[in-house]
Amino acid sequence: MRHPWWIAALVRLYPRPYRERYGDEIVAAMIACADRERRRGAGATATAVRIAIDAVSAATLVRRDANPQTPPGDPPMQSILYDVRHAARLLRRAPLFAALVVATLALAIGANTAIFSVVNALVLRPLPYPQADRLMVLYEGIASLPTPFGFSPPDIAAFAERAHDYEKLGAFRTAEFELSGVQQPERIPATRISASLLDVLGVAPALGRNFTAAEDTGRQPVALLSDGLWRRAFGADPGILGRAVSLDRRPYTIVGVMPAAFTFPHRGPHINNVPAEIYVPISFTRDELGAFGSMYNNTVVGRLKPDATPQQAATEAVAVTKQLIAELYPADLHEIPITTRAAPMRDDVVHGVRRMLVVLLAAVGVLLLIACANIACLMLTRTAARTREIAVRTALGAGRARVIRLVLVESGLLAGAGALCGLALAWGAQRLAVTSIAHELPRAGEVALDGRVLAFTAFAAVAATLVCGLLPALETARHDTAGTLKEGARNASAGVRQRRTLATLVTLQFACAVILLAAGLLLVRSFVKVISVDPGFRGDRVVSLATSLPLSGYPDGPSVRRFYDTLLDRVAALPGVAAVGGSTDLPLTVRERRVFTIENPSPATASLPHTVANDCVMGRYFEALGVRIVRGRPVGPADTARSEPVVVINETMAARYWPGDDPVGRRIAWGNARTHGPWMRVVGVVGDLKQSGLAAQTDPQTWQAWTQLADSLLASSVLGFFRGIKLMVRTEVAPLSVVGAVREEVRRLDPALPVTGVQTLDEIVGASAAPQRLNAALLGAFAGAALLLAAVGIGGVLAISVSRRTPEIGIRLAVGASRGNVLRMVVRQGMTLVAAGLVIGVPAALVTTRLLGSLLFDVTAHDITSFAAATVLLCTVALAACAVPALRASRINPIAALRIE
Amino acid sequence: MAETLPPHWFQILLSLADEDRHGLGIMNDVLERTGGQMKLWPGMLYRNLAKLAETGLLIEVEAPAGAESGGGRPRFYRITAAGKRACAAEAARLASFVETARRKKLLKA
Repeated sequence: MRHPWWIAALVRLYPRPYRERYGDEIVAAMIACADRERRRGAGATATAVRIAIDAVSAATLVRRDANPQTPPGDPPMQSILYDVRHAARLLRRAPLFAALVVATLALAIGANTAIFSVVNALVLRPLPYPQADRLMVLYEGIASLPTPFGFSPPDIAAFAERAHDYEKLGAFRTAEFELSGVQQPERIPATRISASLLDVLGVAPALGRNFTAAEDTGRQPVALLSDGLWRRAFGADPGILGRAVSLDRRPYTIVGVMPAAFTFPHRGPHINNVPAEIYVPISFTRDELGAFGSMYNNTVVGRLKPDATPQQAATEAVAVTKQLIAELYPADLHEIPITTRAAPMRDDVVHGVRRMLVVLLAAVGVLLLIACANIACLMLTRTAARTREIAVRTALGAGRARVIRLVLVESGLLAGAGALCGLALAWGAQRLAVTSIAHELPRAGEVALDGRVLAFTAFAAVAATLVCGLLPALETARHDTAGTLKEGARNASAGVRQRRTLATLVTLQFACAVILLAAGLLLVRSFVKVISVDPGFRGDRVVSLATSLPLSGYPDGPSVRRFYDTLLDRVAALPGVAAVGGSTDLPLTVRERRVFTIENPSPATASLPHTVANDCVMGRYFEALGVRIVRGRPVGPADTARSEPVVVINETMAARYWPGDDPVGRRIAWGNARTHGPWMRVVGVVGDLKQSGLAAQTDPQTWQAWTQLADSLLASSVLGFFRGIKLMVRTEVAPLSVVGAVREEVRRLDPALPVTGVQTLDEIVGASAAPQRLNAALLGAFAGAALLLAAVGIGGVLAISVSRRTPEIGIRLAVGASRGNVLRMVVRQGMTLVAAGLVIGVPAALVTTRLLGSLLFDVTAHDITSFAAATVLLCTVALAACAVPALRASRINPIAALRIE
Repeated sequence: MAETLPPHWFQILLSLADEDRHGLGIMNDVLERTGGQMKLWPGMLYRNLAKLAETGLLIEVEAPAGAESGGGRPRFYRITAAGKRACAAEAARLASFVETARRKKLLKA
């Protein structure tokens, strides 16, 4: 008869004669029960648990019925239970010791579990798609630049035709829409996806259907909702399909709802990395499909054929791009240095955080090691106090193994309790972390305590048990029974050995603490350097607000201009507003990079790459931001569509392309030397503004007058970002206090227009330093914990040593040693260990901090200041920790001390 | 058997009062008769059956010809005279409580 394995296992619990007699029937009854419960609708696991409880209790009773004389349980198991009870009893008698050990382990194991759960979710677990290891992400870009761009629309189809390593390719691009017709109009993150994308990923809508290829190419207004938006804005209405949703004031028919677990695009990759709330077809326009050599802003995802490897695909991608440029691009673009890089999707998603995770995992590992060394010290001195008990046991016939087990069971009990508390801590930390740093981590939503994390915690607990317990256990088992049992006798050789072990453990702790402290200080210093970078503007009392005009409400250039002209005038007239301007991108996150040509360039600059960051500004932008005007004038309201096109450049650009010359009055144009657009006159040079975050280097940058943009650009259905303006309002009062009035002005102009991105410029600057802040905070905390543990460790060991040496110290004092002599002696004893720790730790730290690499900013991995600070800090804390037992030693009363002996 | 029977023993004996049954049969009969209130789980059921046999309230008998259920030819259980007496005594004891409840007008006659 076939039955589940667990039933067979349960039956084996019964003693053999009983099993032979009733086994088959019990199995039949169990199966009948399981069937019956299933028909009643009970959960399979609950039923199995109920049946198992019944079987275990029955088997126990049957076994006891069979031989009532012997107590329950078989001998080895029973003796372990005995050891556990004994250990628990001993620990109950030393609650402070137990609590200290459990708390230390809980912190260390908790930190390990929390970090591992993040590593597990981000790096170890496959992406949530079927056969996710077959998914590749492809970007076009310039080989010499570290960050790739994306795919140009005409290249996507051409690439798909020529590449043979993929079953299917899909493309997507992040967008943003005004969602109206729901409670409150708002701007939501969206993604334009090709009809093939969901097939490539292997995901189907939970409700409804995917777009068809005809809807994509035919530019049909259809939409797929994310589960989150469906619940939030539509009350999870199951009859949503076929209804219309208004995006940028245009009706889109809802054809499906995505599954709850579908978060796409992932955070983290280079571009197109904002999880969308709604998906619409990518629907390339004719202009886009003809945009050879530009609009490199789409991400391509491909599913590899079963016989293709990622390496193969990466090689092929380069060749295919070369081929399609030669075949399809206009002749003057054949020299364009575009190439394609293909990488496994998971690598792409976690690319930016992998190093940090490795560092954190290493740091918590070291922390656990310190904690274990610390506990080993405590246990060692504790077992020393148990020497007599152990000696009695040995004398009564307990073997070496039995004694070792006794100590290991105790450390196992402590490690188990520590792991449980650690798990609870990790769970709490994780909830906190996921809500507070979700925006900085890819796949943060997937962080959970799953089986693998629990297994890791269990492993950490076992490792801790062995590390903490084995040394004391071996030490205990080595004791000389007869010597110990002799009343009053002191086992001198054992004492020396133990002191040496303790010294080694303390030295190890300090060596590890130096490593963590140095790494922590390096990251803290990096963070301080990042936040003290001059962003090029004065962020105090500036608030930023964003609006974006939908094409359907503002179909042409004049309507867009009218709106922003009026808005800027009205906001400027508000009380408390000092200056107001606007730009297409926020400082620190300028997205646009353009190729440019210089009129009559100096021959020295010919070999330089001619790409600049570009931003379009309106109103009194530079004044609002407090940017330094170096030369000439800023662009402003006087520059209009009818006046000469003008541009302002930054100092970096002036120095690079006009070295030793005045760029004001010179002309540049977009495009390369052969096919460039109209000339624009440089009218001013301004101080450098950071474009890609505080930590990034400053690139050459230009600012165009937004008012001089062509009507066709403002009315373009593709380039929506010219209609999206980030207002910069410099105030004379608290910046956030004017937000209400600005909102009101927007509402007066267009009641349906959402205002988003309300944040002060200081907040924007703060957000730019967030990765460094997180790194510094985490590693700083771990280093602090390590320092604390090491201090407790050395303090404890010295205290024990002092109490052992009380008679000796008493004699020293009696024969004329001063209290200062004793104080110095104890401190010297402690600081010798610290020095040994430093001798080992500093070189080790010099090697390991190299791991930090790209996480550091403006600080080398061997930064002398950080290392010196780590050493000084460590010595100071150690000195303080040594001082406590040393002071106690110096206050020993010689008479009382000698009387003890 | 003057002392009271545990409820599940009573129910097992009650099942066997009119016919011989195998373990699974007893389990299902008790469940049905008590309206799902008394669930006898397999492990404890067989242990109790063994105990009851030991006490002499029931005996194990050969399965009647043609009886096939679950695990091959199952063992059947038959109530003994002692078992019947014990079961009846328990029933009478319970009945006396019912009678009291009637007298106190808690139950309709």
